Amino acid sequence: MESPDKEKKILILATDSCAYPGADSVGQAHSSYPANTYILRVRAPVMFPEQFYLDCFKKGISGIIIMSCGEECPYEGAYKALATRIDAVYQLMKKQDLDIRRLRLTAICTVCNRAFLKEVNLMNDLVQEIGLPEMD
Amino acid sequence: MSDPKEKKNENSVNRSEKIGVYVCYCGGNISDHVDVEKVRDAAEKMPGVVVARTNSFMCSDLGQDLITQDLKDGLIDRVVVASCAPSLHESTFRGAITRANGNPYIYDHANIREHVSWIMHGEKATFKAEKLVGAAVGKAGLLEKLDPIQVNSRKHVTVIGGGIAGLKAALSAADFGLNVVLIEKTPFLGGNAAMLDKIAPFGEKASDLISQLAKSVLEHKNITVKTHCRLVGFDGYIGKFDLSVKTVFTDPSDHEQHPGHFVPFEGVETDTVVEEIIETGAVILATGFKSYRPDHGEYGFGKHKEVITLPDLIKQVGKVEGSSTLELDGRKIRSIAMIHCVGSRQIPGIHKEDENGYLNEYCSRTCCSSVLFMANKIREQFPDTNIYDFYRDIRTYGRGQEDLYDKASENRVVFFRFDATESPQVIPSSDSDYPLQVTVKDGLTFNEEIEVPVDLVVLATGMEAGDISDIVSMMKLPVGTDKFLQEVHPKLAPVEMAVSGVFLAGTCQAPMTIGEACNGAAAAAAKAASLLGKGLVELDPYVAEVDTALCDGTGACVDACLADGALAMVDGKALVTPALCLGCGACVAVCPSRAIDLKGWSLKQYEAMVDMIVAE
Ligand SMILES: Cc1cc2nc3c(=O)[nH]c(=O)nc-3n(C[C@H](O)[C@H](O)[C@H](O)COP(=O)(O)OP(=O)(O)OC[C@H]3O[C@@H](n4cnc5c(N)ncnc54)[C@H](O)[C@@H]3O)c2cc1C
Ligand code: SF4
Repeated sequence: MESPDKEKKILILATDSCAYPGADSVGQAHSSYPANTYILRVRAPVMFPEQFYLDCFKKGISGIIIMSCGEECPYEGAYKALATRIDAVYQLMKKQDLDIRRLRLTAICTVCNRAFLKEVNLMNDLVQEIGLPEMD
Repeated sequence: MSDPKEKKNENSVNRSEKIGVYVCYCGGNISDHVDVEKVRDAAEKMPGVVVARTNSFMCSDLGQDLITQDLKDGLIDRVVVASCAPSLHESTFRGAITRANGNPYIYDHANIREHVSWIMHGEKATFKAEKLVGAAVGKAGLLEKLDPIQVNSRKHVTVIGGGIAGLKAALSAADFGLNVVLIEKTPFLGGNAAMLDKIAPFGEKASDLISQLAKSVLEHKNITVKTHCRLVGFDGYIGKFDLSVKTVFTDPSDHEQHPGHFVPFEGVETDTVVEEIIETGAVILATGFKSYRPDHGEYGFGKHKEVITLPDLIKQVGKVEGSSTLELDGRKIRSIAMIHCVGSRQIPGIHKEDENGYLNEYCSRTCCSSVLFMANKIREQFPDTNIYDFYRDIRTYGRGQEDLYDKASENRVVFFRFDATESPQVIPSSDSDYPLQVTVKDGLTFNEEIEVPVDLVVLATGMEAGDISDIVSMMKLPVGTDKFLQEVHPKLAPVEMAVSGVFLAGTCQAPMTIGEACNGAAAAAAKAASLLGKGLVELDPYVAEVDTALCDGTGACVDACLADGALAMVDGKALVTPALCLGCGACVAVCPSRAIDLKGWSLKQYEAMVDMIVAE
């Protein structure tokens, strides 16, 4: 196993009504995926300010996948606001020379097992390739 | 963090120093892959943790007693349980806390089964479990006591679907004292069971069963039945749902409709469409299944008229009066081949996928019994008609069902067993006396090649999920990989759906017998009654909260808010109206002074979680 301090950690912000049960469904199917993934249950990722993402990278998180409900979001208008925010985060990341591929906005439903696994594996391939984020 | 306001904010939080952590073995489900004792040791050293314990099943009474005892002893004031998915047991552990006179919201959950032990093994699984427990501890330290929001609920349930399950659910709910509306899209009550004649395993007449149930439903003072009726809109929340339904009365004269116009030789036409809103407190889904229709050419179906489905056979035989040989459509049926598992238990690489690459991999569970029931009936009523039964496995589970199999042997039904890779072939017969023959490699006689000339081939077609995609998308319902509606948990929450206040009854959930459909229906009705009986439903208090000392009155939160009226500026400070707040947190992200946060899911808590995940 990779020594824990070098682990390239992926933070997954998974919505309570779609992606989190989606991740449960992947577990129920006993499909394996990389261990460096830490899933946090969120009501709606629209609550996180730009700084939250930058702070995560600063703290040593290598990649963040926002697994939202997409257009199925139970909070009308939240997805649009979230997409706008993520664009703003990308601008800030560019300014700090952070590879914007480290942050990904996706939509995962309660039974989107394949999509979940694909996103996680893609992000893992990326963070293994580009390593830990370097920030001042 | 250099902003002084953030400092103030951080300082205003009292972190708990009395966190109890309880790690579950899940009887091996977790402990076979995660070193649970090592996770416990790590938890004990985490900041704020005073006690960390393990148990074989935290959800058992013994497991829950660990929590209640530590709370009663004053040892802990925050609780973290590391176990299965929170959807399964979060409410169990909150309940345990309440029993010890604690506040249910001092609780957080680490999912170390679905997110760890079921997907990985060994050292890395243990490491990840420790991190997830750490994150929960980070959050728990910042949890505050909260009071649930209470809303008045309607003592009213709406049942969608008027098959056996819907009828039973409506009747049970009405007997519990709820007002019930039953909506059925067709003009008839009874659903698919109405196509059956006598039903397995005990032989009651389906028509008697349906008539008796429907009579009780139609006569019940608490039940309103709406046929020709469909759901077209869904709004609200548990306890207060508004369902828009549309009733379209079928027009016997098949012409374009113009209400108010004179139709020659008929009269002035009236409106045939009625739209209304049903105000209800809970919804029971009982929309049933559809029968599998074989592909053209599947076992000769559609190519040879002598190949029919099991529902066809039931219908046809039901109309025939006694004689020693069965006669259908003027043809003497001297021998019948019955083939099991048609459209069920399909295997990737062996069976043909549909146009979307989909296979019915599940067992339809009722066809084995139904086939053997029909085989016995035919052998007993028409002793000169021989039956050849081609099966993969016989699945006559449940009371009285295995007897059907024994009886079929007594009735000299001849069995052949086939492997899924070598299904029986249905071809024109080489014997001119019979239209068809079935060939198979018979597993019961060491793969002997058998040829059976027959007059009729019956395909034991199973069940498929009904097409309710409109309802699924309107109500945002979870659907399983088998396309049937998915319950929260197959064992622990078998009739509940993830959408609070929505329950499942019958075969919209999975293939099942009439008895099982009625069990599910009665359980769903009991759940709805216990939920709505009090007239009050408690909702989680996850709404925005303003720290007025920090609020600079920029109004950014009001602009960002997604719910009309939930946030307003009053005397230069933001004010939340909790009943209208959605709890999405759109306001949290935009406050420059971090004065607004979400109760129970605060930004501070997330930051603490990330800190624990990255901690060395
Ligand atoms: C070939 C065969 C043989 C069987 N033999 C037996 C047997 O011998 N013994 C036994 O116990 N079981 C048997 N079964 C199983 C039995 O048929 C089912 O258990 C039973 O019919 C299930 O009832 P249900 O109410 O769940 O669904 P259904 O009977 O499918 O009823 C669903 C109802 O909902 C309505 N509906 C659907 N969508 C909507 C909508 N959007 N809005 C409003 N209404 C809607 C439908 O019109 C229908 O009336 C057999 C099944 C098959 C296929
Ligand atoms: S019940 Fe019997 S015939 Fe039906 S799918 Fe299952 S095994 Fe096959």
